[in-house]
Amino acid sequence: MKNREQRLYQAIAALGLLALLAFEPVRHGLETSMLRHMLVQFPGLLVVGVLLGGLVSARWRIALARWNHLGISGLCATGAFLAVLMIPRVLDLALVDWRVETAKFVTLVFCGAALRLSWPASGLIVQGFFLGNVLPMTAVVGLLYQDSPLRLCNAYTLDDQQQLGSWLIGIAVALGVAWLLHAYHVLKDKNESEPSHA
Amino acid sequence: MLRTIIACAGFIILALGTAHWLTQDFEFWTAEGARRFDVAASAVATPDVAAVGPWLAASNLPDTLTNTGGVTIVNFIYTTCQTICQVLGTEFQDLQARIEADNRLRERVRLVSISFDPAHDTISVLRDYAGHLGANPDVWTFVTVPDDQQLRQLLSQFNVVVIPDGNGGYAHNAALLIVDGRARLVRIFDYADVDLALGYATRLAERQLSG
Repeated sequence: MKNREQRLYQAIAALGLLALLAFEPVRHGLETSMLRHMLVQFPGLLVVGVLLGGLVSARWRIALARWNHLGISGLCATGAFLAVLMIPRVLDLALVDWRVETAKFVTLVFCGAALRLSWPASGLIVQGFFLGNVLPMTAVVGLLYQDSPLRLCNAYTLDDQQQLGSWLIGIAVALGVAWLLHAYHVLKDKNESEPSHA
Repeated sequence: MLRTIIACAGFIILALGTAHWLTQDFEFWTAEGARRFDVAASAVATPDVAAVGPWLAASNLPDTLTNTGGVTIVNFIYTTCQTICQVLGTEFQDLQARIEADNRLRERVRLVSISFDPAHDTISVLRDYAGHLGANPDVWTFVTVPDDQQLRQLLSQFNVVVIPDGNGGYAHNAALLIVDGRARLVRIFDYADVDLALGYATRLAERQLSG
């Protein structure tokens, strides 16, 4: 019964956050700045997906797992789709073409759900492979945004672009360090629980 | 495991297909690149909007930009600009000097600066600005589109994106726009590529005359 209540709250939170992000003034407010567009709206939509992913029933989870061995498909999709969303033209197009904007929303929610369903199933090796692709890509895009003397998006100022670049680099480094610490603890716990190696 | 491989392949193909479409065969990663490609691939007619400016004969923009037998190089500006438009202004001064010095060019290539800030850039402001830059009205004219809706139509048709820069000014995708004898936007050059733009304009004018 408690589980059911929890799921209800999760569903309300997910739909509430999605409605908030899609609410015209909020959407417009976030999208007038490149920084808020990529660092508030994008992660917000990922969170919606993560919450929705938690609502998938155990039966469906098992069915999906057959197509998502060790979470590989989900992480692969997330990596590939995030790469597409980092193409500068996407940001400009999303502002003027509602189809691109809708596709962007759907894709980010999907990536969030895929992360929720795949991350726990994946081991350190799959996670390392996924982050080893996504984080350097993020950092390189960040460097490009930070150092380019040209505006890569017509709808955003150069200052905004450079700030976003620095943030992307910082986030990639921080996530990388956090994951390495996590991996270290997992491996240490594993060693301690297997005294035969000692 | 086989299902997982199939799923991964499907996702990757979907992502690559989308990227292929977005970047027009992995050629253009920015909206500006795609804009220039689109214009070169198919010319954009100047929308029929009212235009005003000092020493202006015509009262609408298509007529202002029609240069029978010739070509017009257009830029978008606002007179209070402290950054990019000053570079554009210097480049147009340079272009004007080169056009004035060459009899053939004088007949074939004209310059038009369009202000997207009609609230500030009235006819008299544009006249002062033109004088300040030493514009020769026979070669280089200044116009603006006073009607807000028409201005927006023009900017969207020519894909000029103007955004407030947070310091009271604007950021915009400044470029050199080549408009043919029938007032169609046919090519866009980087604002730094003055030689390329003038060369292209000259050849286009010659082609128009012989065609």
